[in-house]
Amino acid sequence: MEQASKVQQVIDRFERAGRDSLIPILQAVQHEQGYLSEDAVASISRHLAIPASKVYGVATFYNQFRFQPKGKYHILICRGTACHVKGSAKVLDAIRKHLKVEPGRTTRDKLFSLETVACMGACALSPVLCINDEFHAKVSPAKAIKLIEACRELEAARPAATA
Amino acid sequence: MKPFLHAEDLERHRESLVAAYDPDRVRITVCGGTGCNAQGSVKLVAALRDAVGRHGLAADVEVKVTGCHGFCEKGPIVVVRPANVFYVQVKAEDADELVRVTLKDNAIVERLLYHDPASGTRVVHEQDVPFYAKQTRVILAENGHLDPTSIDDYILRGGYSALAKALTAMRPEDVIAEVKQAGLRGRGGAGFPTGVKWELCRKQPGADKYVICNADEGDPGAYMNRSEIEGNPHLILEGMIIGAYAIGARHAYIYCRAEYPLAIEQLTRGIAQARECGLLGEDILGSGFSLDFVIKQGAGAFVCGEETALMHSIEGKRGMPTPRPPFPAQSGVFGKPSNINNVETWANVPLIVNRGAAWFSGIGSEKSKGTKVFSLVGCVNNTGLVEVPFGTSVRTIVEDIGGGTPRGRKFKAAQMGGPSGGCIPAAAIDTPVDYESLQALGAIVGSGGMVVMDDSTCMVDLAKYFMEFIQSESCGKCIPCREGTRRMKEILDALTRPRRKEGGVDALLRMQGLMQLEELAETIKTTALCGLGQTAPNPVLSTLRFFRDEYEAHLYDRQCPAGSCKELVGAPCQNACPAGTEVWRYVAHVARGEYNDAFRVIRDANPFPSACARVCHHPCEKSCRAGASGGGEPIAIRSLKRFVVDRVPASTYRPLARRPGTKSARVAVVGAGPAGLTAAHQLSLLGHRVTVFEREAVPGGMLVGAIPAYRLPRERLSAEIEELLNDNLDLRTGAALGRDFTVDGLLADGYKAVYLALGSHQSKTLDLPGEDAAGVIPGIRFLKAYNLHGEGLARGRVGIVGGGNSAMDAARVALRQPGVESVTMFYRRSREEMPAYAEEIEAGLAEGVAIEELVAPLAVHTKDGRLVGVRFQRNRLSEPDASGRRKPEPIPGSEFDAPLDTLIVAISEAPEAGLLDGLKLTKWGTLAANPESCLTSRPGVFAGGDVTTGPSTVIGAIAAGKRAAMMIDRYVNGKLLRVLPKVKLPSVFVAPAGDADDEGAPPAERVRTPHLPLAARVGNFDEVELCISEADACGEAHRCMRCDLEFTQPV
Repeated sequence: MEQASKVQQVIDRFERAGRDSLIPILQAVQHEQGYLSEDAVASISRHLAIPASKVYGVATFYNQFRFQPKGKYHILICRGTACHVKGSAKVLDAIRKHLKVEPGRTTRDKLFSLETVACMGACALSPVLCINDEFHAKVSPAKAIKLIEACRELEAARPAATA
Repeated sequence: MKPFLHAEDLERHRESLVAAYDPDRVRITVCGGTGCNAQGSVKLVAALRDAVGRHGLAADVEVKVTGCHGFCEKGPIVVVRPANVFYVQVKAEDADELVRVTLKDNAIVERLLYHDPASGTRVVHEQDVPFYAKQTRVILAENGHLDPTSIDDYILRGGYSALAKALTAMRPEDVIAEVKQAGLRGRGGAGFPTGVKWELCRKQPGADKYVICNADEGDPGAYMNRSEIEGNPHLILEGMIIGAYAIGARHAYIYCRAEYPLAIEQLTRGIAQARECGLLGEDILGSGFSLDFVIKQGAGAFVCGEETALMHSIEGKRGMPTPRPPFPAQSGVFGKPSNINNVETWANVPLIVNRGAAWFSGIGSEKSKGTKVFSLVGCVNNTGLVEVPFGTSVRTIVEDIGGGTPRGRKFKAAQMGGPSGGCIPAAAIDTPVDYESLQALGAIVGSGGMVVMDDSTCMVDLAKYFMEFIQSESCGKCIPCREGTRRMKEILDALTRPRRKEGGVDALLRMQGLMQLEELAETIKTTALCGLGQTAPNPVLSTLRFFRDEYEAHLYDRQCPAGSCKELVGAPCQNACPAGTEVWRYVAHVARGEYNDAFRVIRDANPFPSACARVCHHPCEKSCRAGASGGGEPIAIRSLKRFVVDRVPASTYRPLARRPGTKSARVAVVGAGPAGLTAAHQLSLLGHRVTVFEREAVPGGMLVGAIPAYRLPRERLSAEIEELLNDNLDLRTGAALGRDFTVDGLLADGYKAVYLALGSHQSKTLDLPGEDAAGVIPGIRFLKAYNLHGEGLARGRVGIVGGGNSAMDAARVALRQPGVESVTMFYRRSREEMPAYAEEIEAGLAEGVAIEELVAPLAVHTKDGRLVGVRFQRNRLSEPDASGRRKPEPIPGSEFDAPLDTLIVAISEAPEAGLLDGLKLTKWGTLAANPESCLTSRPGVFAGGDVTTGPSTVIGAIAAGKRAAMMIDRYVNGKLLRVLPKVKLPSVFVAPAGDADDEGAPPAERVRTPHLPLAARVGNFDEVELCISEADACGEAHRCMRCDLEFTQPV
């Protein structure tokens, strides 16, 4: 499969790698395919000669790694203290209800995925929301929904992708 | 570039750079930090470059992207150097005008300057902006000047000279001695002396040693490390190379969060540049010292801020801590001696080596040396990065640099040190920020997050938030942290959420939970394995220490005083109303055009809808979410109520008749004010036969006696009171307690219970000789004389002492009386502190009332027994006291005489003490009554309203009357005089009004309530505030965010 060979290429970049390269490899693979598939975990385990269970153990320990593909629009909500004090819980709630999706998951139409992050380090702009690496500052629940709907409209306006 | 083989090569290169540098060249520096990038600085840079080219300035002007300027609130920030013209919130569209006006016309774009709200002026130069003026920028000094992508720029400005000095002129021991002598302490947490740490590692045997930079800034609410790296990466690299030289390490790691892509990019580039220049790698600057550098990306685990966990993560394992000893200095990463320091600690090293230990230790406080960068965020006007010397007070940081809390809300606390830290409450705002002082308060400097909270933040919710964070970030290795934090979070959850049953065992378990919370916290603190676990309970312990009352309010009263815990608050407007009016519900009805339904909702909770629609102090609007987190202005709730009550006849509401099956009794109510009439009305509906005794000829209490007719028209009030009377209610006016009857007499007459709602009618006196002269009038007597008897007592030049609502009422009434020349209010504090409602003060000023602030009366001048003037002394506000309030203190020699013909003394009121014989009083002279049962010290005698609280609000008196009615009913039926507090959540579904599409979007701004023109108010008592139109009411109601819909479902 194309996907699998791409992952293999990424892994092969780490020649003669030791255990300390595990996290960088996981990061590189996730960067390539957007998440860590079962096959990818198995390939990494073969490459480093570490049991797949250990690889999986490390991957699940860290918040960065996901095991489900990202949606086309990846929404990150900051849950840092500054954002919390300024009402990010309400923003998260509004999005959860609006998209009917829990943090860490992707909507059925694969359009949106939702993730919370401990702190984005943009506390002066709190509450912060990030859609596909684009920051949105001082977001209210209403503004968040507007942003999501804008993404939807963008999709609807686009000519239907080749199915 | 050719690598520098010796220190001289570096110096020669620097000299050539300096020679080529023209300091007078115009440079437009644009902040390229993450904050400004998010606000559009990338587009702005392109637009500026474009504009510079278009105006033919490309050869003379450089557009330079620098690191974070710190004032993220106002980003993107542009500084035109060398003049240092400081522009804020510059958009790409502004680029052309900025370049044209500033560079071609040599003028200034006024609208892009920083507007200082304190002085009301626009500030032109960077150094004059208050946010910067009070900072001491050492670490961030270069951030606004330096191009972080250019090593030459860094070398030009003196970069790597400290490294050259260390390698050529200092032995490693000398470097350590210098750092020790400087008193540098770790900037990442506990503040361990850096030099001592280095020495420990240096003394370890073995040649393979590691230095590590902890850039895994995991504390939520802190981002200074990010900006330090993004703005000046070479400073950190230089510090680490010097440190590695001092320790004798050959390998260096930077462990940086993957969430900081720009920081990783700058570091990667910086390392490549340094290596190319021979400042990294083998035989650096010919000294024989070698160092290799690796960047590791953290993968998002808070626990990796703990050093042993971080080292395991570098090794490619799960980031779990291990017990110490062995310390990292003995056995760290890959089992080798390792030294780990925070970004900011490393950044200090080149400065110390260059400028010397004495310079460094000259900054800061006794035990905490140097400066610290704080990320000042949360509820504060100027959010951003702030660098101050240790020992600066929290007040300076929050108020002077941060510009205070927004929207006039009150500063409540500053949370410092993230999840391992604690809170600095408002009472301790003058605490100097250093390691020891903060530790004494249970907080820590930590990495420097400072989250400001105002009175809308619930401290229990904050503790819950941190426990949730810690619990999900706990690595799971040790039981106290893994299980303990989960249990603590469960207890906090139970506190902030209603249960199906609020009584019995459930309530008991909740109580037990709180008692165990503290015990559990102590256990985790002493038994957890690592620093994360041991400090995990700090947010709870700290909030319990300073805000225990909030925990108790959640536990006993099931209330969230800050109005933040959703499941206890429901709709914030309803929660804020003392009478529990379902505000959201009638606003929704107004939006749907169902005005009769709206009226029923209003009237159901409040027997004085028409009075409250005019004079209520509307706490609902203060808590309205459209105003708080919605970012706009609150709904004009009182104006909507006014619209409804003016439109709907009172007869629309028919109260439910008495409940069957309960005993009815005779009850006496003394005082026909809002508290008394509310209680009497409610009791009469419950089937009791109530007699209301009123001293004056007309009922209404302070509503009629004190509040002038231009605020509350008399015919509206009397019609409203008329509506409350029924067969069970007998109103006797002209019957005064003490003169016509006594409490003993009432009880002897067969009244089962007596409700004393006497109000506070005794004006306090100034205690000055001459106060009994003619022309000196107590405030309430003045108001009653006009309101009840039509007597105008004011004449000539009128002075009013006081700043409350009755003082303002007296002023505006006096202004309307014939024979009055001028009206001046004299208040001892500043105008901002006047307790009168802001809208009243504004109206008074507009009508011609003058206000003399910060003055206190000293003596009353009389002639022939008549007032001729008053001597005043000016006050100034003192330095803030422990509670943070500035007290007025007299300025010697500032006395002045004000000639006056009338002096109205309206400084405060108290109950008339003579009427309360035999009943227990509070230390403030008010009648003591149990807040829960409303019972006084005498069985069968209840009390409420102003007589128990001192002068207070109308809606407060109505709520007191409702509570008293319930308690008196329970009393005569022989029930226990307590009810369990109940959480009131919205329970009725009102469908949202038609789609916004049909009627256009709701208006963006709050409706402006119309007022009678000034000219039409002269000399009469016509109502000043007018009713809004139907279209306005409908639009305003559509602005409601409908917080209730979260709790209700369509049927």
